[in-house]
Amino acid sequence: MGLDRRGFITFLVGGAVGTLFTPVPWKLADDVSIWSQNWPWIPKLQYGARSEAPSLCKLCPGGCGLSVHKVGKRPVTAQGNKNHPLSQGGVCPLGSSAVQLLYRPARVKGPLKKNNGRFEAISWEEAAQIVADNLKGKKIAALSGDENGSASEVLAGFLKLLGSDDFYFMPSDAQVSQRAWSLMEGKGQLGFDLENSDYVLILGADILSSWGPVVRNQKAFASRKGKFVYAGPVQTGTAATVDKWMPVYPGQEGVLALGICYYLLKMGKSASLKNFGLVRDYILSKYTPSVVEAKTGVSAAQVQKLAQDLVKASAPCVLVGSDFGQGSGAFEWASGILVNLLLGTLNQKGGLVALPENKVITSAPWRSELNQKSFLKFLDEVEQGKAVDGLLVYEANPLYALPQPEQVKTVLEKIPFKVSFSTFLDETAMACDLILPAPHFLERFDDAYTPFGVGQEIYSVAAPVIEPIFSTKSTPDFILEVANKLGVDLGFASFEEVLQAKAESLGTDLESVSAEAYTSDKWLAQNSLSLPVEILATGLETEGEGVFLAPVARNYLGNTKQALTPFEVVVVKEFELQKKDFYIQVNKNTANKLKLKQNGKVKLQGAGGECVARVNITETVMNDVIAAPLGFGHQAWDEFAKGKGDNLFKVLSVKEEKGSGLKVWNRSQVKVVRA
Amino acid sequence: MEAIEFKVKWGMVINIDKCTGCGACMVACQAENNIAPMVDGSDKRMTLTWMLVYELSNGKPFPEHDIAYLPRPCMQCGKPSCSTVCPVIATTKDEEGGIVSQIYPRCIGCRYCMAACPYHSRYFNWYDPKWPAGMEKTLNISTSVRPRGVVEKCTFCHHRFMYAKEKARYNGEDPMDLPEDAYIPACAEICPTGAIVFGNLNNPEHKVAKLAKSKYAFRLLERLGTDPQVYYYSEREWVRRQGDNYLPHEKTKGE
Repeated sequence: MGLDRRGFITFLVGGAVGTLFTPVPWKLADDVSIWSQNWPWIPKLQYGARSEAPSLCKLCPGGCGLSVHKVGKRPVTAQGNKNHPLSQGGVCPLGSSAVQLLYRPARVKGPLKKNNGRFEAISWEEAAQIVADNLKGKKIAALSGDENGSASEVLAGFLKLLGSDDFYFMPSDAQVSQRAWSLMEGKGQLGFDLENSDYVLILGADILSSWGPVVRNQKAFASRKGKFVYAGPVQTGTAATVDKWMPVYPGQEGVLALGICYYLLKMGKSASLKNFGLVRDYILSKYTPSVVEAKTGVSAAQVQKLAQDLVKASAPCVLVGSDFGQGSGAFEWASGILVNLLLGTLNQKGGLVALPENKVITSAPWRSELNQKSFLKFLDEVEQGKAVDGLLVYEANPLYALPQPEQVKTVLEKIPFKVSFSTFLDETAMACDLILPAPHFLERFDDAYTPFGVGQEIYSVAAPVIEPIFSTKSTPDFILEVANKLGVDLGFASFEEVLQAKAESLGTDLESVSAEAYTSDKWLAQNSLSLPVEILATGLETEGEGVFLAPVARNYLGNTKQALTPFEVVVVKEFELQKKDFYIQVNKNTANKLKLKQNGKVKLQGAGGECVARVNITETVMNDVIAAPLGFGHQAWDEFAKGKGDNLFKVLSVKEEKGSGLKVWNRSQVKVVRA
Repeated sequence: MEAIEFKVKWGMVINIDKCTGCGACMVACQAENNIAPMVDGSDKRMTLTWMLVYELSNGKPFPEHDIAYLPRPCMQCGKPSCSTVCPVIATTKDEEGGIVSQIYPRCIGCRYCMAACPYHSRYFNWYDPKWPAGMEKTLNISTSVRPRGVVEKCTFCHHRFMYAKEKARYNGEDPMDLPEDAYIPACAEICPTGAIVFGNLNNPEHKVAKLAKSKYAFRLLERLGTDPQVYYYSEREWVRRQGDNYLPHEKTKGE
């Protein structure tokens, strides 16, 4: 039987129709669509067993617990640790990008030495030798950005044994509060028992956006027993959620606190201060309602209402702080402490509490002693000719995150030998002679003892969750090694031993404290407090010229240590950054006054520098105030942060505070000119 | 179109009054779902933000001005506009749980679904995903990596749903009756103020079922009839009023 034309066509068509009734064409189409998307340059997932490891976030002083999720040996995500007493399962955007920062392009991959302006790789042995040679018999200073870790204790103890008292922390409210508390003859570290308060009045400090242990603040807010009231110049995350927002001019939170004190004193409230009569008379005569109203922009009636509400509450708490976490003075803190004393809430449930201290390195000063010293004062001394041979910088970026960084740079150039222990290639590391990278905090042992702002003593430790990816060395271990070379004995052979000793000093051990943080309810009783009246004078000073600047710190813009992280790039809003320009925020009223237009380019001129920005008109800012974000304008790091916007630290102006001798920059004023 | 009724309906109630706009949900989402970081994030037409936090304003001048933050995941609509327009059945709502699926290998990138979605919850990969050298080692095993040319969106971390069901089966429990916190997306889990509550809207024992019935609860563009499974909650009338296109004489829901 032959195959004729008709038969052939029938066979073909029949066959074609027939295959449609089989899964073959559908399977093929599906496979083609999959194959055509299997592009070799797109990474494939690497499967493995899933596990979790507890850790501790060291990206800010907040001390949040993390739960690092791993696949095989690879950490993949940093999630919340529900068992951690502070963060209770919450994480901020910075902490949430912790794992990815292991591979941030800006990471320093090994020890580097500057040679004629270029960095060359060296070995760790060579590095230890260079450091030892340059420290022997020299005048050394150190700057640390880790305000609650034992690494700072090791560094401070080492310096002391070298005969130097020049150990400094990066400036923060932790430091200023300690200074104010010491001036008042208080003992221990101040904290706020927000969890048990039924009326929290926050003056200045943006506690739900960036101030202090922010995730713990957010947790305390979420489970609040009563009201939260916030007084600050800008509607940020705190103002958006609290029960009431009150606009107050930037840096005037201390005056507002004394305004409240005025009414409390009028009600007959008293505080157990040695010089109470003097303080009372001073406030009643100087901080009258009209003075306070003029300074703060808050009406007398509102201030009185605040005082009445505080008195009505059973466990009120007044938290004073700088709206961007730094730059305030002893004045603000002493005023804030005084309100709490008048309310009788010191060391009461839900009030202002004094927490114990701890240290295990014998030679190291107590944290409260270290916090008395100001790095900006030190820079002044260096500028005036104080001889310093070397500077060690740990977890700090002073060339970016101090007011007027250009001047800081000039002063630091006078110090011939500078070492940065930075994990990332930041502005300061670039200006140092040696970069001896510390491992990322997920690659090392680290700890946090009672972060500033919390209401209980707490100690958390984290063991490494991954082997170091690059040639890095834990800084305290390196210091112990150099100490050994110099014949200086800190009493410990490794950092792990220091942590072990610290855990034991608290009656626990390293293993259990790594699994679950140690907490206690110890509050320090105070003997006799006093308040030097001259501190209270600061609030009466006349303001300079220009418009008030309200810097805004938000964790999604990075912070003073960590530049905008790769995952935070898309979180930044379109009215905060456009390509290379960052925005200042003003309301319509202020814009009209200053003749500013939406998107117009302007120059902010401060006492020591200027920066360029665009204008966004928004009603989130109070009258006669310019709000602007901190965190932009990096000149180092990597493509995710470098060259985006301008650095607001350039226009902050530093003043010396009378009475405390501190440097303050929370009342910066700027001139705005069209660029 | 006939909508499928599910026994289990996963949903969220987002308390706007608790959201501080910190952005932790947005970062957690990127890490969980293998979204590649971008060097420039200021052109919001190019960014991939399955979860996006908007800033709301009551429109009044200072000092009457008020501000709120609104996190926006995929609404997982009961009657989705996106799946009905997909020519290649790359997005469907047909699985128990009521999550709108997105099947990347099937997607032909026509972007009809993006045009149809009234919530701007869908995103198009204009570029191949690119991680800085080494960062691909942090890729999660939860979600496959998408090439350029396909549309993607929030899936309520569907892989976590699968893990939870698997775990329940392993423990001899009913995977269709998961307890409150057995399955929770990354954004809801990480939220520091607990603004995002997640659970089964059809299970009266879950918090979301009760919260969704509150007089302060509302959904975005409710009257379009998309029946979203994401509810918002705010005691502030002006916030609820922005949830829909009200005519001047109309009362806001919950008033």
